[in-house]
Amino acid sequence: MGSQHYLARKIAYAFGTLLFVLTFNFFLFRVLPGDPVGILARSERLTAADVAALRAQYGLDQPIPRQYVTYLQNTVQGRFGESLRSGAQVSTLIGGRVWPTVLLVGLGTILSTIVGVAVGIRGAWTRGSRFDRNTLYGALVFYAMPEGWLGMLLLILFAGTLHWFPAGGYASADSVGFHRILDIANHLVLPCLTLTLGYVGSYSIIMRSSLLEVMNEDFVLTARAKGASDQVVRRHHAVPNAILPTATLIFLSFGYVLGGAIIIETVFSWPGIGLLTYDAIRQLDYPVIQAVFLLSSATVILANLLTDITYGYLDPRVRAS
Amino acid sequence: MRRWIGTTLATTVLAMLAITPGAHAQSASQVADVVLRVGEVSDLITANPFAVSAGSDWTVVTAQYDMLLKFNDTDLSPAPSLATGCTPSSDHMTWTCTLRKGLKWSDGAPLTSADVAFSYRFVIDHKIPQYRSYFTSNPVFETPNDTTLIWKADAPTFALDMPPWVYIVPEHVWSKYNGDDLKTIKAVPNVPSVVSGPFQLTSWKRGQGWTMERNPNFWGSAPTVDRIEFSLYTNQEAMVQALKNGEIDVADGLTPGLFKTVEKTPNIVGQQVVSDWWLNLAFNFGGQGPNADPLPALHDLTVRTAIEMAIDKQAIVDKVYQGTADAGDTIIRKASTYWHLDIPAAEEIPYDPAGANKLLDQAGYVDTNGDGVREDPKTGDELRLRIPASQDTTGAVDAGQLIVGFLKDVGIAVDLQPVTDAKMNDFWAAGNFDAYIWYWSGDPDPNYQLFVFTSDQCGAWEDGCWKDPAFDAMYAKQSTTMDRQARLSIVQQAQQEAYDQIPSVVLAYPSWLQAYRSDRFTGWTPAPGADGYLLSTYNYDSLLSVHPVVGAAPSSSPSLPPVVWVALSILVVILAIGALRRRRTSDDEA
Repeated sequence: MGSQHYLARKIAYAFGTLLFVLTFNFFLFRVLPGDPVGILARSERLTAADVAALRAQYGLDQPIPRQYVTYLQNTVQGRFGESLRSGAQVSTLIGGRVWPTVLLVGLGTILSTIVGVAVGIRGAWTRGSRFDRNTLYGALVFYAMPEGWLGMLLLILFAGTLHWFPAGGYASADSVGFHRILDIANHLVLPCLTLTLGYVGSYSIIMRSSLLEVMNEDFVLTARAKGASDQVVRRHHAVPNAILPTATLIFLSFGYVLGGAIIIETVFSWPGIGLLTYDAIRQLDYPVIQAVFLLSSATVILANLLTDITYGYLDPRVRAS
Repeated sequence: MRRWIGTTLATTVLAMLAITPGAHAQSASQVADVVLRVGEVSDLITANPFAVSAGSDWTVVTAQYDMLLKFNDTDLSPAPSLATGCTPSSDHMTWTCTLRKGLKWSDGAPLTSADVAFSYRFVIDHKIPQYRSYFTSNPVFETPNDTTLIWKADAPTFALDMPPWVYIVPEHVWSKYNGDDLKTIKAVPNVPSVVSGPFQLTSWKRGQGWTMERNPNFWGSAPTVDRIEFSLYTNQEAMVQALKNGEIDVADGLTPGLFKTVEKTPNIVGQQVVSDWWLNLAFNFGGQGPNADPLPALHDLTVRTAIEMAIDKQAIVDKVYQGTADAGDTIIRKASTYWHLDIPAAEEIPYDPAGANKLLDQAGYVDTNGDGVREDPKTGDELRLRIPASQDTTGAVDAGQLIVGFLKDVGIAVDLQPVTDAKMNDFWAAGNFDAYIWYWSGDPDPNYQLFVFTSDQCGAWEDGCWKDPAFDAMYAKQSTTMDRQARLSIVQQAQQEAYDQIPSVVLAYPSWLQAYRSDRFTGWTPAPGADGYLLSTYNYDSLLSVHPVVGAAPSSSPSLPPVVWVALSILVVILAIGALRRRRTSDDEA
């Protein structure tokens, strides 16, 4: 009963947050200065009458509350409208960007998680060793380094100087079939490496510090007193109790996957959601902005929900409280 | 265990080795194709000729569609295209155009004068904003046969002599959209397209790039290039690396700094394209609405002249555009070489801060309170200008920052405000600014550009609400002058009037910057002139003439050397096995 109540409460909170985000998104972008149709006037030579007609066709001449109701109705029905800039369906625009973003940010998050957690565990367990010192400094350096700058360094070194990888993009236009998969992998290496190096520091530092705290706990001493080997103490006693903060970070990071990585996507011309968001904000493309913010907010809310549920599973005290 | 390790190693190594050819990624059937690879900095927004707005849109649409008459390669004057020529009646109210025989669309359907009439009517009926300025004299179109189009207007017109920058589309494709609103027309994706030009868009992935393939039914001489692949680069440094690496053959849209660097690279040639836009500091004369409150002193030509004299345009060219621009003078862009008036150096308003100070002193604009800013003797107000500068216009904010210093030297204060174009629209509508920094571009023909500066355009296109009856009269006179040479004279008088009256200071004519691999392709036909665009901006002639250098290796994506892939693969496998073994040992002990 306690578990069900806990779950129901968390899901209700998640829906409440989603509704707030829906509302906030709508009003936030309408506070931005400028008229989304008027911005097209110069490049497309629209007269004031044209702008007025287009505003009416897009429903932007309606009072804000009316626009809000229409927006809610359309969103519930999964209709995100058309881009003001290109006329393309917003769902099509986003659909084309989801997979590249998931591939890059998802893979980068997985790799940085695996490497970061492993390095953090080993660093804590061999505290003060050369490995610990080197990885700690390395983690701090990469964590502090602006990812755009790191990306440019890798690009100039591996693409510009060594000619090992393409300078950007998702795939060669003429690649097909299995070659296309390999071609995408070839294009993926540098942005993914940048993202992994940029994220790995946070995981390793948090994992290391939480494990260091746990290593001084009584139950670790008890395990050693029972004669368990170093590896058993680490794997079965220390790490499971130290993983909670890192697990939080991991879940939250996966929540941000669909938000894209704007800077890395820009440096490597990777056609993800981050770039789409950036362009849409610059062009005041309301339908696109609202949809991508809703999507990324929804995934963060979902990731939070999963974190809460997992917390309850990992630590019954959380569920009981 | 050993067998498992061996199998894993072999599989991994083979898989990794396979990546190497994958990077080049060409199917057997495409090996013989001549492929031109182009790096672009702006995405294709639409392939719909009735919705084009950004640079890449024009490149794509111009390569696909013909105009009735095209812009020539030298000065963008009219030249034969679908029509071999158009002849006016003596009163210039009727033009008769003769089309080539045997024209076809890419789907095999015949292209006739009916398609031309349909395209023009489509623009008029749907009020397509980009093109309607060519149809101001209420024309009707007659098509007595497949190769004759008669354009009948209710007033004398030189529209065919501009020529109309309107793409001819197939009636059998676009007639289904007749009667739809502009929003619906703009939303037509037009992929796959039915075209008459040398290339057609065959694939397009937003955010990545697009591919154009040769149109087998093209009426002109077939291009040597079979396919053009456009790749989008959101990082210009990366595009330059790609050009140096040989991933692309042309880089379209470089920053001045990268252009200066890349043009020094062997086998790479920079193309500084003659400017088709200009950066301006436009003054506000007021009248937009109740909130318009520009500085009254700006109505004084002495003040405007002093401001122009205080601005070092060459410094803007050198510092903001790193020399890839020309100092500005008149309001018709340099790319319109036939129409542009180049003010002789001796007659230009000189850069002369001391002279500007003297002018202002003599006119009574002196600093009465010693704060370094002059006051208007009539109102007592400080000469302090609120100047929004467009963040979306290349160089506008940087130029603005220089102008702050230039004007400070002559006792004029500036509150510079970098804004997005969206916010700039709000300023224009309200009129609550003293000047703004933005750009104008215009058509090859000067009619539209002159039109936007006429008095009637206050509240529409003339954002500063400059009103000059003499200029209005010149605009009106040129619009009814049918003789091209006589019209040129009036157009140049209008430019001189705007230069003398200074509704805006034309700061610079910045160039569009391109670069190409001269060891890969040659035979470009830029337009307009030798320093024109390499790609299909005004016409597609360059795409017809460009061809590979004999013996040149095709462009391709680089890839990791096989030996590195093998070494990495072995390392990964060894690490994985080591981790598994440690885990097993740990589990056994537990």
